[in-house]
Amino acid sequence: MYIPPSLPRTRPVSMSRRVVLAGSLTGALLLTACGGSSDDLDPSAAGGWSQEYAGTELNVLAEATLNSDILAQMAPEFTSMTGIEVTIETAPFAQLVQRATLDFSTSQGDFDVVSIPYDYLGAYAGSGYLEDFAPLMEANADKVSDDFSQENVIPGLWDTAAQWDGAYYGMPSNSAVTMMMYRQDLFEDESEQAAFMDAYGYELAPATTWEQYADIAEFFTRDAGEQLAGETLSEPLYGVTLAGKRHEAAVFEWLNYANSFGGGVLSPEGELILDTDESVDSLDYMSSLGEFAPPGYTSATWDEVTAQLQQGIAVQAISWGDTAGAMENPDQSAVVGKMAYGDIPVLDEGDEHHALHGAWTYGISTEASDADAAYLFVAWALSEPVQKQIGEMGGVPATFSAFEDPELLETLPSWPQQLRSLENAVARPRNAEWPQMLDQLMLQVSNGLVGEATPQEALTDAQDEITGILGDKLPLTEF
Amino acid sequence: MRWARIGMQAPSLVILMLVLAFPLVYSLLLSFQSYSPVDPAADGRWIGLDNYARMFTDTQFGQAILVTLGYVVLAVALETLLGLVLGIWLSRLVRTRRLMTSLLLLPMIATPLVVGLMFSFGLNPQFGYMTSALQSLGLIGEAGVLDSPVGAFAALVVMDVWEWTPFIALMVLAGLSAAPEAQIQAAQLDGCSTFQIYWHVMLPMIRPVIGVAILFRATEAIRMFDQVYILTGGGPGSATTVNDIFQYRVSFTAFDMSYGATLGIATFAVVVTLTWVLFRYLNRRGAA
Repeated sequence: MYIPPSLPRTRPVSMSRRVVLAGSLTGALLLTACGGSSDDLDPSAAGGWSQEYAGTELNVLAEATLNSDILAQMAPEFTSMTGIEVTIETAPFAQLVQRATLDFSTSQGDFDVVSIPYDYLGAYAGSGYLEDFAPLMEANADKVSDDFSQENVIPGLWDTAAQWDGAYYGMPSNSAVTMMMYRQDLFEDESEQAAFMDAYGYELAPATTWEQYADIAEFFTRDAGEQLAGETLSEPLYGVTLAGKRHEAAVFEWLNYANSFGGGVLSPEGELILDTDESVDSLDYMSSLGEFAPPGYTSATWDEVTAQLQQGIAVQAISWGDTAGAMENPDQSAVVGKMAYGDIPVLDEGDEHHALHGAWTYGISTEASDADAAYLFVAWALSEPVQKQIGEMGGVPATFSAFEDPELLETLPSWPQQLRSLENAVARPRNAEWPQMLDQLMLQVSNGLVGEATPQEALTDAQDEITGILGDKLPLTEF
Repeated sequence: MRWARIGMQAPSLVILMLVLAFPLVYSLLLSFQSYSPVDPAADGRWIGLDNYARMFTDTQFGQAILVTLGYVVLAVALETLLGLVLGIWLSRLVRTRRLMTSLLLLPMIATPLVVGLMFSFGLNPQFGYMTSALQSLGLIGEAGVLDSPVGAFAALVVMDVWEWTPFIALMVLAGLSAAPEAQIQAAQLDGCSTFQIYWHVMLPMIRPVIGVAILFRATEAIRMFDQVYILTGGGPGSATTVNDIFQYRVSFTAFDMSYGATLGIATFAVVVTLTWVLFRYLNRRGAA
């Protein structure tokens, strides 16, 4: 199992340590009881969690996702075990980043724990807004339950979501990752298989290369009135759906193509590679898929992509693993049991598959009222029972134990693929200038998709603008 | 007595200083610095006029200004034209004037966010009722309105016209209601047609009112943000990136606060100048 090098290992709690722990807990309880903050606390209900910080009030800012909603529902359990009161506020991506930045930069300390998108790690950690986790883990090693184990957290998530400039500034809060989603029922239909073979000369199967992905998109794009799997379509069907709005969603979608084309934003050496042939070809390819996408894809984000898959009007997409649960929700989806999930395709057969991380990170503000109590909350959120509950309720966990839980695997067909994607995923840049770079990329990817500029022109403009932003920091050493 | 007067005014002056002067002065100072809350290298150091120099060579800002100008001129011109017609029509109604006036208020009282959402749903390429209506009239293709730069820009203008034409109409109605009867009756006695009375007599009388209405609308339209943010996010490309959206992106997406402050100061200067020019014009007309 992976253990980040600079983090202290959590120690198995021996019997003697348990006795010491119980004693210290009792002492702490007496002290806190004297303060009148933990009168109702039952030491036997601690479940291995320290009650030393009873009476502390924590404010948590988290992304508006199911994970956060579930945590908010479960927070009273944490309070009953530790005596730490938790209030969880949620906000969508852009608003969360703005609120967190405002809180951090003004040293307000309104939020003790903030779940941040990992690409802001450099910005926040680099600005000194986040606590270094290693000392917190060391100091609180015997205050967390055995239910939490850092080895249980998926390794790629540690590196992507928590590590910056040789230190760890958080713990993964959400394991969103991209994968290919497709209509398995249509792929298995014999008449469709035969028709595909006639048209393209090879078997219909989930795409492993981008060429196949485009062929499949073209093959399944049909007008209303045409036949599909022996039935007449009442509505048009589209071979693919994608996010093309001037929005983060379009940039993140493009990065999936760019990474496998050999392009992207930065080379491993930290040089900008936006205007390389590989990057341009990948945007050109993304743009070409628009022909087989539902009308108006250039004003679509991941929300529309998810809705179009759920409604069954699109056959395949590159989308986020945390939307897979919505495909299997009978209240929302017309494709329950019909979807399957695969690796992000590659340029050439035999290339290594690469998904894109979309992870979030629990960071602890340096202005937190009690960083130790905040650490306990984060560890609890990543503990085995909580992670399992997140999985059961439709959220996305970040631990092996949840992804490999047999009960969960039975009901969640996307999970093996999510785990595979997490193991091969690459990260977006996380440097402090990334917010400015992302803003430029949103504009230029959109320009390339709507035809305001050719992909070459759009990415050359992006390269020029971002070169101006980064200036003499190029080549980047940490990103 | 003088000190008592100052003392009585002090509370409101202090509040005014806090809510108006402080942000303005702070923004002005920020515009001479390099500051980003997420970039340790942009630590607030003094860089003189660099941000202003950058602004004058920033093609994306230039594009945003052009989009804003196009949007303001088109939207306000259409609103003035339609508002004038609508106002005159309202003035000629007798029994239903109150009802129609109340109905016309509806778009104006909707919050900008709701208007943006309404058009966003209506113009959804797959399920939007506005899209269906426009498609059945053969005006747009299957990709809908927001897919193309021209379509998205047109949608913004139409949305603004829908929301604010009633404002101009009500101002015109108010002006017409207050117009002195004597000149109108004199024109009637001289044998003027209805059109001539409106064009040569009533319209000149209400010109200051229309001028004020245009001024209000123009300064409002320059600050357009909510609806654009909801409907297009400034896209596709930069087709609907009006000035406020551009500044928002600079300040709160890219977190380049000092450059954002520079753009804010420049916009403030332009709006103040425009307002001053228009007021001078109106004052001269009034004096004449």
